[in-house]
Amino acid sequence: MRVILGAGAALALIGAAPLAAAQTTGTVDITGSVGERCEFTIDSGLITLGELSGTGGALDAAVVNGASDTLNGWCNGTAAEMTVEAHALQNITYVGAPPAGFETVVNFTATATATPSGGPVSANDSSAVAGAGAPSVVGVFSSDIDVVLSAAATPGGGKLIAGSYEGSVDVTLTPSP
Amino acid sequence: MRLTAIILGLAITGLATAAVAQTAADGQAAVTGSVSNVCVLGAPSPAAINLGQLSSTSGPRAGKLSTIADQTVNLPSSWCNFGGTRLSISSTALLAADTSTPPPGFTRAVNFNSSVTTWGSPNAQVTTNAAANGSSATANGDSGVQADPRAASLSLQLSQFSAPGDGFLVTGAYAGSVTITLGPE
Repeated sequence: MRVILGAGAALALIGAAPLAAAQTTGTVDITGSVGERCEFTIDSGLITLGELSGTGGALDAAVVNGASDTLNGWCNGTAAEMTVEAHALQNITYVGAPPAGFETVVNFTATATATPSGGPVSANDSSAVAGAGAPSVVGVFSSDIDVVLSAAATPGGGKLIAGSYEGSVDVTLTPSP
Repeated sequence: MRLTAIILGLAITGLATAAVAQTAADGQAAVTGSVSNVCVLGAPSPAAINLGQLSSTSGPRAGKLSTIADQTVNLPSSWCNFGGTRLSISSTALLAADTSTPPPGFTRAVNFNSSVTTWGSPNAQVTTNAAANGSSATANGDSGVQADPRAASLSLQLSQFSAPGDGFLVTGAYAGSVTITLGPE
């Protein structure tokens, strides 16, 4: 408290100086910064596919392909990237390895599309390959992020075992690589 | 000097803010689906069996049931996509179209055994036990429980054809049936 008052007094003296002598100026520089940042305004969604099997008991890919949901987010840095990691639909009811000719996994490709001012930017990933897909530079943007499923398939093309299936699509916005 | 110190302090504060403020974000869309319990029996091949002439027409067994060869019906591409299923057989003996009670020594029924392999343990099997007059013509048999989902080509075998009391068969057309059901135990 004492220090601030001292500085204030010095400034007051400088301001009064022109009346008595040559002008002099003191400058206070003011700086700040904005960190690179990404956030989701809507960070969760749910894609309910319903019955997955078709005639003959195998996957009805048309149920999965084209299914979608919408997240919403933004990034404030020009180097911001978006990545997608798709996690396959897994039968959470059936325990153990499936018998010959049956399947408990449905793979798919997930594509997330953000819309910076320069035009849509997409990133995708296949659940059949471990890990996230390649990042795409989205830069500065604030928009919906549309998540669309495609290329649905089971590993062996067999019949799906009855039960409930769960998977997910993770979308990550990273301020800079 | 004191003012300089304050300005320098502000500059340092600004740099520190820039260094810690990178923030990534994660969003997630959950994906759910389901698969219903389903059992499918392949179309039987052949869908009907014609045994032809049932009784011997000459020799010591003339008028009585002749030797009838075992019959096989295939049900390809049968499956259930869930565990805990059972195969059931409901067989009805071959009965003469003439429903009149046959005289002593005669019969209007031909019994047989039905069995289906490769679903559950033990396999489903049943033998009809119709009386000479055709009563109690239907019998049922179940397999053991099939614990896991299964896809298989099933085989229904008809065998052990016999007439009650080895009686003489009344004349006319005969018809019987076998119904197979695949479903939850």
